[in-house]
Amino acid sequence: MTTELAAARDTVPAPLDPPTKSAARPVHGLAKVGGYIVLVGIALLVMVPFFWMISSSLKNNNQVFTVPTQWIPTEFRFSNYADIWTRIPLAKYLGNSLFLAVTITFLQVFTGSFAAYGFSKVRFPGRDGLFIAYIATIAVPWQAYMIPQYIMMQKAGLTNTHLSLILLQAFGAFGVFLMRQYYQSIPDEIVEAARIDGLSEWAIYRRIMLPLSVPAIASLSLLTFVATWNDYMGPFIYLTDNDLWTIQLGLRSFIGQYDAEYAMIMTGSVLSVLPILVIFLFGQRYFIQGIATSGLKG
Amino acid sequence: MKRIVTKGQAMRGVGVSLAAALLLTGCGGESESRADGKTELTISVWNLEGTPEFNALFDAYEAANPDIDIKPVDILADDYAEKVTAMLAGGDTTDVLTMKNVTDYSRYATRGQLADITDLAEATDQEALAGLESFDQDGTYFALPYRQDFWALYYNKTVFDELGLEYPADLTWDEYVDLAEKITTDAAAAGLTPSTGPTVYGTYHHVWRSVVQAISAAQTGDDLVGGEYEFFEPYYERALGLQDAGATLDFSSAKSQQVTYQTMFSTGQAAMLPMGSWYISSLLASAAKGETTFEWGIAQMPQEDGADSVTTFGSPTAFAVNAKAKNTDAAKDFVAWAAGPEGAKAAASIGTVPALQSDEITTAYFALEGMPQDDLSKAAFEPDEIVLEMPVSEVTSDVDQVLMEQHDLIMTGSVSLEDGIAEMGERVRNEALQN
Amino acid sequence: MSKSATVTYANKAQVRRNTLIGWSFLLPNFIGFALLTLVPVAATFFIAFTDWDSYSTPELVGLDNFQRLLTDKNFHVALFNTAYYAIGHIPLTLVVSLLLALALNRKMRGVNFFRTAAFFPYITSIVAVAVVWNMLLNPTQGPVNQFLMTLGMDNPPGWTSSPQWAMPAVIITSVWRDMGYYMILFLAGLQTIPPELYEAAKMDGASAWQRFRNVTIPSLRPTTFFVLMMLTIGSFKIFDLVVVMTDGGPGRSTLVLSQLIYREGITNGRFGYSSALSLVLFVIVLSITVLQYRRNQKMEA
Repeated sequence: MTTELAAARDTVPAPLDPPTKSAARPVHGLAKVGGYIVLVGIALLVMVPFFWMISSSLKNNNQVFTVPTQWIPTEFRFSNYADIWTRIPLAKYLGNSLFLAVTITFLQVFTGSFAAYGFSKVRFPGRDGLFIAYIATIAVPWQAYMIPQYIMMQKAGLTNTHLSLILLQAFGAFGVFLMRQYYQSIPDEIVEAARIDGLSEWAIYRRIMLPLSVPAIASLSLLTFVATWNDYMGPFIYLTDNDLWTIQLGLRSFIGQYDAEYAMIMTGSVLSVLPILVIFLFGQRYFIQGIATSGLKG
Repeated sequence: MKRIVTKGQAMRGVGVSLAAALLLTGCGGESESRADGKTELTISVWNLEGTPEFNALFDAYEAANPDIDIKPVDILADDYAEKVTAMLAGGDTTDVLTMKNVTDYSRYATRGQLADITDLAEATDQEALAGLESFDQDGTYFALPYRQDFWALYYNKTVFDELGLEYPADLTWDEYVDLAEKITTDAAAAGLTPSTGPTVYGTYHHVWRSVVQAISAAQTGDDLVGGEYEFFEPYYERALGLQDAGATLDFSSAKSQQVTYQTMFSTGQAAMLPMGSWYISSLLASAAKGETTFEWGIAQMPQEDGADSVTTFGSPTAFAVNAKAKNTDAAKDFVAWAAGPEGAKAAASIGTVPALQSDEITTAYFALEGMPQDDLSKAAFEPDEIVLEMPVSEVTSDVDQVLMEQHDLIMTGSVSLEDGIAEMGERVRNEALQN
Repeated sequence: MSKSATVTYANKAQVRRNTLIGWSFLLPNFIGFALLTLVPVAATFFIAFTDWDSYSTPELVGLDNFQRLLTDKNFHVALFNTAYYAIGHIPLTLVVSLLLALALNRKMRGVNFFRTAAFFPYITSIVAVAVVWNMLLNPTQGPVNQFLMTLGMDNPPGWTSSPQWAMPAVIITSVWRDMGYYMILFLAGLQTIPPELYEAAKMDGASAWQRFRNVTIPSLRPTTFFVLMMLTIGSFKIFDLVVVMTDGGPGRSTLVLSQLIYREGITNGRFGYSSALSLVLFVIVLSITVLQYRRNQKMEA
C-alpha cells in the first residue's frame, strides 16, 4: 500500500484546491440551510456544559448548585470578573501557567519529533523493543510512581521550582509516539531519495520531515499545551511557594475545608479557557486538507 | 525564597538517585537563625486565605513571641493530606504540621514522622482540652488539638417565625421528623418560597455518611468499626422517611448535582440543618458582609427517646511537630501555646470553636458580632458528650470506604435498607477487618 | 514498515552507523524520559515486592502483595469496571471522533466554529461537565429520561443514581468529552493523505464508500493505531472523570483501577500493594500494546 501511495503521489500533480470539498457537489440550497441549522443546533448542545460555566460565573456563590438547575442567574454578578483579579493573584498565576505550558510544549515537540525520526526512519537493533517500552510506560498511572519521583526530585533539590515540572513533563512519551506515527505515514522513499542525494540524517529531519509534519506538530502542540495548562496534580505536588503557583492551583484555592466558592471557580475557569481558545483558533489553519501535501511538493 | 539550582547540580543529583537509594530516608535539618535574629517557624496549613483561624493564631503568637517569624506553607485544602504525605516522604523539614483529621494523624504518627510531645500533653489541662484523647497513641502523644468541632442542629428562625412554630428545643428524633414534615407542608400551604429554588424543605441532610452513621454510633454507643451495623437501622429509617415524604432534598439529586449545604440553608431552602460547628464562622462572615437575610440559631442535635444527656459527635483539629523539624523547640512551644488559653482565645475570636473549653472562652465566643444570643443556642454549644466521629485504628480508612459506599446504595434506594446494612457488615468483616 | 526500505542489516559497519544515528535522535528525549519516568517506574515495580509506607525502609515481602490481589474484592470489582469502561469507551470514541474529523476536514462555511464546538467538551471544567451531565441524566427530571419516556419507555435508566446504569452514564459522558481530542489527532492524520489518491480513485469510478474503504482507512492506519493505543491506555487509566462524576459510586459500581491505586497508595499509605496494582495494570496494557503493535506491523507490511 505504501508504495502505491508514493507512486500515486509522484505521478499526479497536486491540484490547487482540495478535491473533496463539499461545496463542489451540487447541493440543494434549502437542504443545505437545513443541514446547517441542524449542525449548529448540535454544536450548541455539545457546548451546554460550557454555558453552565458561564452562567455560574455570573452568579452569587449560593446559587451555583441548585436543584433544579438555574440556567439564568436571578441577578447577574459581572463583578465576579473584576473581583477575581484581586481575590487571588490571577495575573501571576496565568503568567506562570503560560511560562510552563509554552516551555514544556516547545521541549516536548522538539525532543518528541527528534526521537520520532529515530524511531521511524532509522533502523537499528533494539529499536522496536525500546519503542514498546516507551508506549507501555505511558500506561503506568502517575499516581503510582509519584512518590518515588518526588523523592528523587527532592534529593536533587528541585522540588518547589518550575524546573521540576518542566523536566517532568517535557520528555513524555506521548509526543514521541504521536510524531512517530505521523512519520510512519510519510513514505520511506522520500527519505531514501534524500539519502541518495547525499543529505545527512539531520538535514533530512530538518529540511524534509519537519516541514512535512506541520499538522502533526500543530496537534501535538495544542494537546500538550492544553494538558500542561489544565494539569493540577503535578503543580500541586511540586510547587509550594504561592509565587510559583499555576492557574489551576489558584482556582482550587477557592475550595476550603468545608465549603467552596464555586462562582469564583467558574469565573476563573472561563477566563482560563480563553488562552486555549486563542491557540486553538490560531492552530486551525494547519488543519485544512491539502496543506501537508502541497508542502511535500514545495 | 526560591532555590536556584544549576542544571549541572540537577543532573548530578538525579544521577545518584537510583531505585534503591531513593527509598532510604534522608537526614533532618538543622535549626537556623536568620540575619535579623528571628527564628523562622514554618507551619503547613490549608487554604490560608479561606481559613481565617490560621492567621488569627499566627498573628497572636507572633505578637506574644517577637523573636519568631511564622511562615505558613499554604497547601490546597482539597488534597492536603496527599501533599503532606509526599513532602514527608521526601524528607521535608517544615516545623509544624497541621493535622486535618485524626485518621491522617494516626498514619503520620505510626510511620514515625511526628515528634513525641507527650510531655506537652501532660502539661495541659487535660480535663478541659476536648478531643485530646483522640491523639493518644498507646500512651504517647504526637499532636495537641487546638480546635474541636461538634455537630448541632442549625435552624432558620425567620422561617419558624413566619410559620408560627416553636424553635426546635430538646427534640427527640421522632419529633424532629414530624417537625420537618410539618414545616414542609406548612410552608407550601403558606406559599413560602426561598430566595433560590422552588420549595422550602423542612430540613436538609447532607450526603455525608456521618449525618446518619456517626450520630447513630454516638447516641447508641455502638462501634463504627465493629462490623455489625443493625444499630443504624432506626436512623436510616428516619432519613429515608424524610426523603420519601419530600421533607428534604433527595439524596440522589443532592449527590449528583453536588448541592452544598450552605446553599440549602443560606438561601432558605432548608429550615433546619444538622451540621458541624465550623459552619458558625462562615454564617457569621456572610452576615458581616450583609449577605444573609435571615435570622438563625443553633439547637442541640435530636436525641434518642428518653436520653438523659445530650450526645453528639465531632472531631478535633491539631498541630503536630515534624520529626525532622528545623526548629523543634520553637515548634513545640507553638503547639503548646495553640492548645492553651491564649491560642483558644485567638481561635474563638474569629468564630472557630477552640478545643480548650472554659466559661471565659464561651462567653467571648458568644460576644462575637452576629452570634445568636438565645439560651437555646448557648445550651447547644455545651453538649454533654462529643463522641469522636470515627474511631482510629489500622482499619479505619478501609471501613470508612465500605460504610461510605453502602451509605450511597441505601440512600439512593439501590438496595433495601435491610440488605444494605447486612451487606455493610459482611463487607466490613470480610474485606476491611482482614487487612 | 515498507519492505522497499533499503536500510537492512547488510553489514556491521552499517548497523553500527545506524545505531549511532538512531540513538543520537533518541537521546534528548530518552535521557529525560529514562531519568524522570523510567527510573521511578522501575522503583515502583520494585516496591511492588515490598511493604512500604513511603517513609521507612521498604521491606521485601516476596509475592505477598500479589497474593492479596487474588482475594481483594475491590481489585476484582475495579478490574471488571475498568474493562467494562474500556470496552464501551474505546470503540465509541474511535468511531465518533473519526466521523467528526471526516466531516470537519473540508473547506466549508463555519468549519472553524464546528471544530471549536467539538473541542469544547475537552476544555470545559470537569466540574461543570459532571454537574451538567448528571443534570441531563437525572432519573426523573432530566431531559434525557423525559425524552425516553415520551418514546414510551416506562422505566428509563437511573443513570448515575443506579449501580447498573452508572457506568454507561460515565461512558457516554467520556465519549462526549474525548471526541474533540481524538478528532484533532485524526485531522492531523488526514492531512497526510494526498488528494491525488482520491482523484485517481474517482477516475476509476470508486464510490464515496469505496474511496473511504480503500483510500482513507489504509492511509490513516498509523494514526488509527496511535489513537487506538492512546484510547486503550487512557481508558485503563481513567481517573478524573470518574472521581468527579460518581466518585466510584453508587456503592463501588464505577470504582476503577487508578482510583484504587490512588486510594491504596497515596491515601492509605500502602505503597507496596498499590505498586503491585500498577504493575498488574502495566502488564495488561503492555500485552494489549504488543498485540496491537504486532497486528499493526503485519498490516503495514
